[in-house]
Amino acid sequence: MRVEPPRTLLLALWLLALAALGALAWRQLRIGTDLRSFMPPPRTADQQLVMDQIGDGPASRLLLLAIEGADEATLAQLSRGLLAWLRGDARFEQAFNGALDAAAIPSPWLPYRWLLTPTLDRQAFDAAWLRDALEQRAADLASPAATLLKPWLARDPTLETLNLAQRWAPPKMPALHDGVWFASDGAALLLAQTRAAGFDPAAQRDAITALQAAFAALPARGEARLEISGPGWFSMQIDARTRGEADRLGAASTLGFIVLLLVAYRSLPALLLGALPVATGALAGLAALALWYGQAHGITLAFGFTLLGVAQEYPLRVLSHRRAGEDALASVRALWPLLATAIVSAAIAYLAFFASGVPGLQQLALFTIAGLLAAGLATRHLLPRALPRRFRDVATLPGLARASALLERVPRLRWLPWLLALAGGVILWRAPGPLWQNDLAALTPVPAQWLARDAQLRAELGAPDVRYLLVLQGNDDEAVLALSERLQAPLEALVARGALDGVELPSRYLPSLATQRARQARLPARAALEAALAAASDGLPFRQGLFEPFVDDVETARELAPLTPQAFASSPFGARLAAMLVRRGDTSLALATLTGVHDAAALQHWAQSTAGAVRLIDLKAASESLVAAYRERILRALGVALLLLALTVAIALRSLRRAWHVLAPMTLATLLVVVVERAAGIPLSLFHLVAVTLAAGLGLHYALFFEQRPRDAADARRTLHATLVCVLAALLVFGLQALSSLPVLRAIGLTVALGVGFHFCLSILMARGKP
Amino acid sequence: MAWPLLLALAPTALAAPDAAPDATALVAALKREVPAVTAYVEVRYSGLLERPLILRGEMQYLGPGKLAKRVDTPWRELTAVDGGNASLQRGDRPARSLPLAQVPELDSFLRGFSALLGGDAAALARDFSLSASGNAAHWQLRLEPRDARLARRVQWLRVDGSGSEPTCFRTREADGDESVLLVGALAATPLAPRVTLGQLDALCRGLKR
Repeated sequence: MRVEPPRTLLLALWLLALAALGALAWRQLRIGTDLRSFMPPPRTADQQLVMDQIGDGPASRLLLLAIEGADEATLAQLSRGLLAWLRGDARFEQAFNGALDAAAIPSPWLPYRWLLTPTLDRQAFDAAWLRDALEQRAADLASPAATLLKPWLARDPTLETLNLAQRWAPPKMPALHDGVWFASDGAALLLAQTRAAGFDPAAQRDAITALQAAFAALPARGEARLEISGPGWFSMQIDARTRGEADRLGAASTLGFIVLLLVAYRSLPALLLGALPVATGALAGLAALALWYGQAHGITLAFGFTLLGVAQEYPLRVLSHRRAGEDALASVRALWPLLATAIVSAAIAYLAFFASGVPGLQQLALFTIAGLLAAGLATRHLLPRALPRRFRDVATLPGLARASALLERVPRLRWLPWLLALAGGVILWRAPGPLWQNDLAALTPVPAQWLARDAQLRAELGAPDVRYLLVLQGNDDEAVLALSERLQAPLEALVARGALDGVELPSRYLPSLATQRARQARLPARAALEAALAAASDGLPFRQGLFEPFVDDVETARELAPLTPQAFASSPFGARLAAMLVRRGDTSLALATLTGVHDAAALQHWAQSTAGAVRLIDLKAASESLVAAYRERILRALGVALLLLALTVAIALRSLRRAWHVLAPMTLATLLVVVVERAAGIPLSLFHLVAVTLAAGLGLHYALFFEQRPRDAADARRTLHATLVCVLAALLVFGLQALSSLPVLRAIGLTVALGVGFHFCLSILMARGKP
Repeated sequence: MAWPLLLALAPTALAAPDAAPDATALVAALKREVPAVTAYVEVRYSGLLERPLILRGEMQYLGPGKLAKRVDTPWRELTAVDGGNASLQRGDRPARSLPLAQVPELDSFLRGFSALLGGDAAALARDFSLSASGNAAHWQLRLEPRDARLARRVQWLRVDGSGSEPTCFRTREADGDESVLLVGALAATPLAPRVTLGQLDALCRGLKR
């Protein structure tokens, strides 16, 4: 006879192995939170663009900031302080809090004003024009605004710098008080653009907490508060809320789970040891991901842990099936063929996900398969050796015999499943409303009052629309900029017609080289300019030689090399333009953000009339189509998985009839879950699909164990006990989730709880053989 | 006897020739009935100009926070301040308008001017520190801005006057530029194109000719 190792040593080694697996996963596995790594790989250039723009587009990286709760002077001071911090922090690409002060344009850029503003497109640079400007400036000098004007007068009597500042300022601006934006409700407003993608909650949390800390550290803050809005803020908040609620529900259901197991097995060691196989599975899954991929998406892991819930049944089955007078290992050996069938068939079914071609799904499959196998092997080989020798045979539990007898009396209504299937089919076919939910955001909805505040701030700030985007296409940057210039007139017409509030074209910051050269050609030579200036200032009281800096600037401007986007990069708006221009293969793209889109159809109609030069991209529709594509692949994978499962079960049971008894209730229950949710008007999302899959995995167990002809009445009672504990545990955990206020948790909880109920009832009705 | 004579002199003794006048009392005495209208001539000196700008026109005080200034020569212009908004119409050009909140220093400057003409010493003292000198026949009221933003633009304002009539408003800006506004009887004074600050000062103090 073999000598078993002492239980404590085995337990210690087991825990050590778990710690090692955990350490491996912790060191090697990077967890991504960017939604895009969860999407199917883009196939066309447009899809690629959409993928880049979802979460990474300028609009989605924009945070809207409001400072309130103090007097105007304090708020303005805080706004300036926060702006200085934002501009110095590497996590933020750019930030604005008011009009671009003409004084903020660095001096070397000033001669470029003649190339960058459209003044000379319509205006001859002659003595008459100068005369008019100088007369105005003389009058300005006598007005109350003189103090503002004086620093500029000598260098820029035509106020071209002011034109440039206005041109570079956002198209629609809030009221300026003390040089700083203010909302109509008295809050100081700022715009900040993060470097990180908008839908990367971890990176957004990093940037936003730093921003909040910087605000808290501002001097003389008083009672002032910082309010934040925008996609990045929402994704961070929703992430935190979902996490918080999942943690609370998890704690509550863990407590219930513990109580349930204590009642069921009357043993604390059994309870603690029963948790080890699932822990083993989870850590093995993580370690497999770490070794194979090195990284995984957060959603993949969330789905994976959900699917791994099946493995919690393995130790429960072992605990329930222990026989009095028999050592645990022997009980497990008797149980193993059936359990192995369940584990292996599930693992084989998940192989189908590898064929999906979606990295997220392949990772999910690897995690789940490794997890199920590890949990199964741990249950088979480690758990029985670690269990205490003293236990209570559940077959002797009072009440169980009565329950078992009651179950035997349940009539086997063979016609009922057919009726249910028929009714379900009809409901599925006739139910109104959309079958699928493609808007993932609908599952993690942003509270209405946040959206209202966001819309309000967005309107006040004239911040761009996060949904629509114009894409301009050309052979190179010059072609795109020239196209952008040509588009200005038709787009202005659309603005005038009310189709949208505004558009931010790249040529607003940088005209094409051709346009810059044309403007340069209209600048007079020094002698001509001096003569014109002398004629223009005749009789005006300006000091002799006052406008020398002006003449110098014009002369400099005549010799400047026109600006390319690369040369423009170091200007105050270089980053802004760089974010708008994208090089893809041998074409150049420019992304123009839109403000206040009221009539998307009119825009679409106009864009279609440009023969492909301009496209209107609806990021919401595009991301929904990506989700639909993803779901299609999951469905296909699930279809193949079901076939593999049926095949494995049939081979393992060596009987088509028995396989039918196992698979029919499972399939019908799955159908009924979908039917109920459909009848309740709930559109199905990816989360529902994962939940349905988990429930089907649990249902497979119920059916397999009920289908097995029991050795004796005591064994039948043990099977019933195990199944009841499993069903109650699942109902407890997922029933609690179904009560969640968050649609995503509700979707998973409701679906699994419903599924467990249907699977249990139908297994009783359909899986059991003749008594 | 000496007593009745002394009593008769008492009211004027409050602003006795040798005693410095009280700034608060001076401001209170400046209160004009609305609408108060006066002609003016404004002389503006600037480092940017080789000779001063000389403007003539009419100023109107229409109540607290409501001021208007019309330029008749050498060009036509109307500046109006009303309800926190300044508008400027020059010649036949379209009017331009600017919320004063955008330029707080301009706002407090105009508020001070309005408080001066409204005789509201308390409001004036909030934005400026006041000091008075001279005598009842020729007094001077000096205003220095308390607000740091305004102080970056304006060093001080000085009002010259006689009795309850202001005669000159002189503004010295932070960059050294100055403007002198002569009102009432002095508005009609003919001025040489290159009139100096000293000459204007003499006019304001009544030392003319």
